[in-house]
Amino acid sequence: MPQAKANPKTYDVVIVGSGAGGGVAAHVLALSGAKICMLEAGDWYDCAKQSEMLQWPYNAPHRAARSKAKPFGYFDATLVGGWQVPGEPYTNAPGTDWLWWRARMLGGRTNHYGRISLRMGPYDFKSRSRDGKGFDWPISYEDLAPYYDKAEELIGVFGTNEGLENTPDGKFQPAPAPRAYERVIKITCDKLGIPCIPSRLAILTQPLNGRPACHYCAQCGRACGVNANFNSPGVHIFPAMKTGNLEVRTGAMAREVVVGPDGLARGVAYIDKKSRRDETVYAKIVVLAASCCETARIMLNSKSSMFPDGIANSSGLVGRYLMDTVGSPVGGHLPLLEDLPPQNEDGVGGMHMYMPWWLYQQQKAGKLPFARGYHIELGGGRGLPGAGALGGADRILGGGYGLELKRNLRKIYGANIYLDGRGEMIPNEDSYCEIDPDTVDQWGIPVLRFHFKWSEDEMLQARHMQETFQQIIEAAGGKVLYKFGAEENWGIARGGEIIHEVGATRMGDNPKTSVLNPYCQAWDCKNLFITDAAPFVTNADKNPTLTITALGWRTSEYIADQVKKRNLAV
Amino acid sequence: MKDISRRGVFQIIGSAPAVAALAGSASAAPGPYRRKVFDDRQWRTVQVLCDLIIPADEVSGSATQAGVPEFVDDWLDFRNREDGNENLTAQILGGLQWLDIESNALFQTGFAGATGDQQKQILDRIAWPARAAAMDRPWVNFFSKFRDLTVSGFFSSKVGVADLPYLGNRAVAEWKGCDPKVWAIIEERMKNGYKGLGGEVKPLLS
Repeated sequence: MPQAKANPKTYDVVIVGSGAGGGVAAHVLALSGAKICMLEAGDWYDCAKQSEMLQWPYNAPHRAARSKAKPFGYFDATLVGGWQVPGEPYTNAPGTDWLWWRARMLGGRTNHYGRISLRMGPYDFKSRSRDGKGFDWPISYEDLAPYYDKAEELIGVFGTNEGLENTPDGKFQPAPAPRAYERVIKITCDKLGIPCIPSRLAILTQPLNGRPACHYCAQCGRACGVNANFNSPGVHIFPAMKTGNLEVRTGAMAREVVVGPDGLARGVAYIDKKSRRDETVYAKIVVLAASCCETARIMLNSKSSMFPDGIANSSGLVGRYLMDTVGSPVGGHLPLLEDLPPQNEDGVGGMHMYMPWWLYQQQKAGKLPFARGYHIELGGGRGLPGAGALGGADRILGGGYGLELKRNLRKIYGANIYLDGRGEMIPNEDSYCEIDPDTVDQWGIPVLRFHFKWSEDEMLQARHMQETFQQIIEAAGGKVLYKFGAEENWGIARGGEIIHEVGATRMGDNPKTSVLNPYCQAWDCKNLFITDAAPFVTNADKNPTLTITALGWRTSEYIADQVKKRNLAV
Repeated sequence: MKDISRRGVFQIIGSAPAVAALAGSASAAPGPYRRKVFDDRQWRTVQVLCDLIIPADEVSGSATQAGVPEFVDDWLDFRNREDGNENLTAQILGGLQWLDIESNALFQTGFAGATGDQQKQILDRIAWPARAAAMDRPWVNFFSKFRDLTVSGFFSSKVGVADLPYLGNRAVAEWKGCDPKVWAIIEERMKNGYKGLGGEVKPLLS
């Protein structure tokens, strides 16, 4: 590529990252007419051409088992990445056991994620006001509700309107009918007073904007070969490119935000991975959406005489209040589901039913020993047999071999279920990321060092999950196959393991106690914005992607509006 | 933009390049399997043991007919590399050797060469963890692990998938949820109770 450094091309906007946050910003801004350059650290990916949809594990290495290179299995959509990215390490401070999932590819984690799309509720934005812990967001549910509407209508989310407390309804496509085990669990939960309602997933049950409805092969994690589930390239980026306003550079590893003498962002310096050359893309507005921790890393590495602690970090809060989601599973066997006539139980790629948090009033009345709630996810049924199929059956059958074993295995196939909690973590002082001054990645960029701790609230929440899930399995006449007790910290997931990392550049209404203003604009650098999960003030039990999309949409509209009003020069 | 019709979707799925590409690659696996872990003697024992665990019946073929010994050999090699140790392989090879030693002591022949009844006499000692003798515990653990590998290797094979049967991983024109006939059976069990292999369920519905 010819160098034009003397008179570099200046874009209106440079966006770092192509996942949910970068995708929505590119989509909204490209449609508003801005000329955009998007940087993606990984390779090009197009699910319509590269999905492993409808392949069989028996045709894959080791029956498509999980491996270090493919931690979610051989067919998972993640091209390069996982818990480790070759040549791009991170470090943990002593006593920290943090896991950091990264997907180096166009669209990032939207290619394989669970598509769970839950709106945060009114309480979730004002949790400190409600229970005195953590922080309030500078915006309310009402501020974000119109953008949840737009997000759901564009990406396509199925669900039902239920009118439940702090569980806002939305603009839903019809929900798919439940599977057998989901109907059993629903009846059981009704008896226990736990609401069990159709789930809300970003998977089409009706055609939308040229995308077909789901064909129910249940393998959304492989990416969808017909674009029937939400993914950033198929829904945001490719349509944005059709406007002619979006240029995407892949293999572009962002290093830092370049700042001018006026303290404004001038662009982004990156390493072109193929040539290993340093490049800079210049733009009038910089949008970071590299994923919460990577965004914090870029900011902390953007040191200059004007920003000695990293760009827009006068509050000292860049990297702080990092959160993940509380997770804790229980598995069980339901004899009710044994020895049934075979049927296809695939459905969409994920649960058709779920249980939203239901004990808000008990919590408010001080009847629970922890502050925040969780929802319950469930799985089971006659799933695709791969590595580990029918493993551990002796815990149900007691052992054996031969003709009787073979007959019995057929009978118990599809009769196992699991319940898994997804709960809110309260932000704490001990959970943050910072630059590790002694380690760089293969591109010479200083890496992140993590500090992470669960607090007592999260541990007690995990305990409540364990007790509740065992109760549900037993109430359905089932047998608990795996569970976790006090000595195993109630099965609480490792920090980062649920892959819902949020926070690290939180928004607020005071420049001293937040990095971003209520429009996700850096207090210290008015042409720097963030549209991934880094602006999150709290991490409600509602999975983050839908809120990233809604919040990013709102931020992008604000950018376009500010440009129109000439508050930002483009 | 025009909505893609149902028929269109199925045409797309049918012609997905990834599907076409795979037919020529991983599934074909030309030539005989080259063992990575088991020697000739172990291989004979593995074949016999796999088929004692999953024999052929009126529904489907046996474990060896479904390629399970090859799967187990390849799996052990895979775990050696993934886990950075050979603990699982050592447990399996140690167990296979014990079968031979035990068979030689009792029947003056290796396990693979013993009669079916003799093989079952040994397996009956280790196939039921709850009733096994304490001294046999290491071989119970070996057999449980080997059984798991055989079971998952069989039921994730093409033969095993058809045996269960697993009816998905295909495009479905309309999703209707649980088959009403299946639901009627479950509902009847919920009303009247049910005794399954995994335990007895008391009536859940009145």
